Amino acid sequence: MNLLIDSFISAIRLVVSMDAELDAIVGVSLKVSCTSTVLAGLIGVPLGFTIAFSEFVGKRMTITVLNTLLALPTVVIGLFVYAFISRRGIFGPFDLLYTQRAIIIGQAILIIPVVAAFTIAAISRIDERYRKTAMTLGANRLQTAWIVFREARFGIVAAIVAAFGRVISEIGISMMLGGNIKGFTRTMTTAMALEYDKGSFILAVALGIVLLGLSFGMNLLFHFFQGRVHSQ
Amino acid sequence: MIYTVSDLIKKYGPRTVLDIPYLEVEKEQIYALLGANGAGKTTLLNILGLLEAPTAGRIHYCSRPVNYAESALQSLRKEVVLVDQHPILFTTTVFKNLEFGLKIRKINKKERYRIIDESLDLVGMREFSSAPAQYLSGGETQRVAIARALALSPKVFLCDEPTSSVDVENQNIIITILRRINEAKKISVLFTTHDRSQAARLAHHTIVLNQGRLVPTLYENIFRGVLQTDPSGQPQCVIQDKMHLSIGEDQVIDKRKAVSVFIDPEKIAVRKPSEDPAVANELQGRVVQIIEENGKVRMVVDAGVWVALLISKKRYQKIVFMVGETIVLSIPPEAIHLM
Repeated sequence: MNLLIDSFISAIRLVVSMDAELDAIVGVSLKVSCTSTVLAGLIGVPLGFTIAFSEFVGKRMTITVLNTLLALPTVVIGLFVYAFISRRGIFGPFDLLYTQRAIIIGQAILIIPVVAAFTIAAISRIDERYRKTAMTLGANRLQTAWIVFREARFGIVAAIVAAFGRVISEIGISMMLGGNIKGFTRTMTTAMALEYDKGSFILAVALGIVLLGLSFGMNLLFHFFQGRVHSQ
Repeated sequence: MIYTVSDLIKKYGPRTVLDIPYLEVEKEQIYALLGANGAGKTTLLNILGLLEAPTAGRIHYCSRPVNYAESALQSLRKEVVLVDQHPILFTTTVFKNLEFGLKIRKINKKERYRIIDESLDLVGMREFSSAPAQYLSGGETQRVAIARALALSPKVFLCDEPTSSVDVENQNIIITILRRINEAKKISVLFTTHDRSQAARLAHHTIVLNQGRLVPTLYENIFRGVLQTDPSGQPQCVIQDKMHLSIGEDQVIDKRKAVSVFIDPEKIAVRKPSEDPAVANELQGRVVQIIEENGKVRMVVDAGVWVALLISKKRYQKIVFMVGETIVLSIPPEAIHLM
């Protein structure tokens, strides 16, 4: 018990003193997670919107596949991307393995289904009368789509916030594709695993505190946007 | 004609919800579309509003055949605007709601501002211009939705039950607006309603729908009935187990037992209970409404079911009925039409 309390107190000191190593790890985590979230947003939002807004054969199956991909384990993605970017993979010549870009690619693959599925849910919740109203006011298909998108904006932002929450706390992809290289690809989760292996709890607990703080912040944001959706 | 409809059929799955052989809608007139729930009023309005395609049939708009391909509808939709029974406003300000359609029509900023002010003035909502639209009351929402549609200067204004979900004050405001835009701007207006007296007060023409078909009458007295024979073997029609009406043998068109019955309100006679002895097809009922309508007096009588009838002013002034008074209705067989 003393070990936990002592580690927690030391960890708080580390966070407050803005320790350089801690800051570097948090910085890498935020950089890769933010980039992969933006990338997933750029792909997942239009993908989800198009699926929700259009009628096509196999729409339900597509949504089922996307929902299945929500449960995709990070290690499976890690393994899958590794096969492509390792020396023997088809993208081997690009030297992506054990770089931040590799983590970003893997994390984006992880959360594109999250963003797309949540976007579909957000668009599906929008009252059909918005589309009908836009049409009767003379809007073309694109302008009607814009109105629906605008009305679903809080739901879509909530989808992106949820996706960020997923990548900031994942470990499989970061470890397998980043390699946990100090100062370069070491993220909060991989650093915590390493510190645990070394039996050094102080930095691990400090990172845990930061990670929990970030998750809490993300959840606050998520509920704020969810609240805006329901108050519409 | 603003619309000419021929052989219109609309089906949802196997169910036919509209079957209109022919219908003409004149320009610059107000039309009331009457009918019970499920009669097909909203579906017809959506088709005329170019938001839904018919399953079969032809529609001419301003003498041009309507092509329901999405790309062809774009320009026509800029002339026809529909306001829903429960209109929805975009979650932004009232001003931006009105601005949306005007921006689509590429109207310049100065002109947009002028039109928006004018339209909000028309519905008495100018002071709400910068208010968030999602927090308006039902009546205010309805008025803003009307202003949003009218700002676009449509040729045709379609309104689905414009007064059904608002209070009396807002009902009167909306009726005044519809009348004013028709008179001042010569906009053709089609609105659906359940309220026959409102239709008679506001509309130049009335269209009545019953189970997706046009009914050739101005007023509704349409009931579900069951055909049977009375103890003397005379055919009779029983309406909701409360009204037993004798009919002629020749009126029984086929072997159907369940029928729709229309009672012509102009052929119903009325008298005080004490005047003459009761005869066949005479029913006692209580007067629940009396209203002046197109030079006649319209009465609604609760005779187990509510029956509307029209009598001349002269007859009314001679007898003078009061609301709440018990009277006798006499429904001759020729007033009863089986459909």
